[in-house]
Amino acid sequence: MISVNNVYKKFEEQPVLCGISCHISQGERVVIIGPSGSGKSTLLRCMNLMVTPDAGEVYLEDKLISPADPALHRGLTKNGKVDKRALREFEKENRLDINLARQEMGMVFQHFNLFNNLTVIQNLMLAPVQLGIMGKDEAEKKAMELLQRIGLADKRDVYPSTLSGGQKQRIAIIRALAMNPKVMLFDEPTSALDPEMVGEVLDLMKELADEGMTMVIVTHEMGFAREIADRVLFVCDGVVKEEAPPEEFFSSPKDPRLVQFLQKVL
Amino acid sequence: MIELEGYKNVLQGLANTALIAVFGLLIGMIVGCLLAITKIIPKNGFLSKLLSRLTDVYVAVFRGTPMVVQLLIIHYVLFPAVGIQLPLLVEAILAFGLNSGAYVCEIMRGGILSVDAGQTEAGRALGLNYKQTMLKIVLPQAIKNVVPTLGNEFIALLKETSVVSFITVLDLTKAFQNIANSTYEYVIPYLVLALIYLVLVLAVTGIIKLVERRLRASDKR
Repeated sequence: MISVNNVYKKFEEQPVLCGISCHISQGERVVIIGPSGSGKSTLLRCMNLMVTPDAGEVYLEDKLISPADPALHRGLTKNGKVDKRALREFEKENRLDINLARQEMGMVFQHFNLFNNLTVIQNLMLAPVQLGIMGKDEAEKKAMELLQRIGLADKRDVYPSTLSGGQKQRIAIIRALAMNPKVMLFDEPTSALDPEMVGEVLDLMKELADEGMTMVIVTHEMGFAREIADRVLFVCDGVVKEEAPPEEFFSSPKDPRLVQFLQKVL
Repeated sequence: MIELEGYKNVLQGLANTALIAVFGLLIGMIVGCLLAITKIIPKNGFLSKLLSRLTDVYVAVFRGTPMVVQLLIIHYVLFPAVGIQLPLLVEAILAFGLNSGAYVCEIMRGGILSVDAGQTEAGRALGLNYKQTMLKIVLPQAIKNVVPTLGNEFIALLKETSVVSFITVLDLTKAFQNIANSTYEYVIPYLVLALIYLVLVLAVTGIIKLVERRLRASDKR
């Protein structure tokens, strides 16, 4: 579904991703954990190009979505230099428009990021209608179904400022679902929530997992990771240090940094 | 006879003051928004970088020199040099509009930057393009943030129009000056003049408060 291929990224000379690679399969639930500043959020954001890699490539269903990396395609260099024209031609032929790619990938943020100037129902309808995926009536019907599903149908006409954190995050999740995405990316979805609201958000995510949604989740909720994940990745120093199914990952970690990390958080 | 003439002049002056302030702000808003866009768009090409630089120069020049001086230059230097003849009032409106544009540009830029970056991210992550995200999500919030400051700018502009008599436009101030000069009576005319400005500004303040309250009501239902 998503392939990250040897990606590098620096923020102001500070290397964050150092040749990281991973692959997410259809229907798979992958949880990414790691110490803060390890690059796990940046890795997730590379998957829908909210962060553009400096080098390396990102694929969605075998289609290139990041800029083409000349180093990964030998034909794009001439006498050791990048052949800019060949690169452009290659991208024109092979690269999927990022806005189209993002329609297939829902994203949920730590700080919810509901549109403050729109009501709940408008939040849910904006993208499907603006992008011409659904008519207004269809989008509204879909939005109401989703709201009923999370039990917030009575909030359809209120503005986000009146909602609790848990309500905001659940609406942010169904806002992404309203686009019928093929994969959902979660960037620390419960980190900004009051403890008593974490449960309702995790429950909704579990429901999605049970329905077979492909999910990539950056989180600090170890119990949740163990319960829901098919595979857990440990990201540290800008690379994947270890990956394994949750039982193995948590009971017999091999990488010394992971052992150290798990001792601190468990 | 003189009194009747003076009275007519005051009405004419009041109309001119209002026209210059209102249309000056309108032009200022248009110019300011266009300038702000050049500062906000991603700078990845030569043209966008050049436009951004030109805006810097524009803002520096119009904020860095006194309004009166700009007015004098536009009337006595710029228009004669280009060879265009426009009604004095239109010249004044243009001068105030161009000046106001520099301030509105900075106000709008600040307003757009004050919208949380997460709003843009959420829009783009849903697949909306830059323009859709700006128009549907960022700008509506930016404008709401900016109303109080724009109101301030309008009040400043309204009072600043009192210098247009430098290019012989008859405004409120000039009308009362004429009365004072012809009657040798200074106390009443100038106090009344001040009172009229005060009433105008208070009225504008009231309107801004109303607009603000209506905008705020929409996010607390």
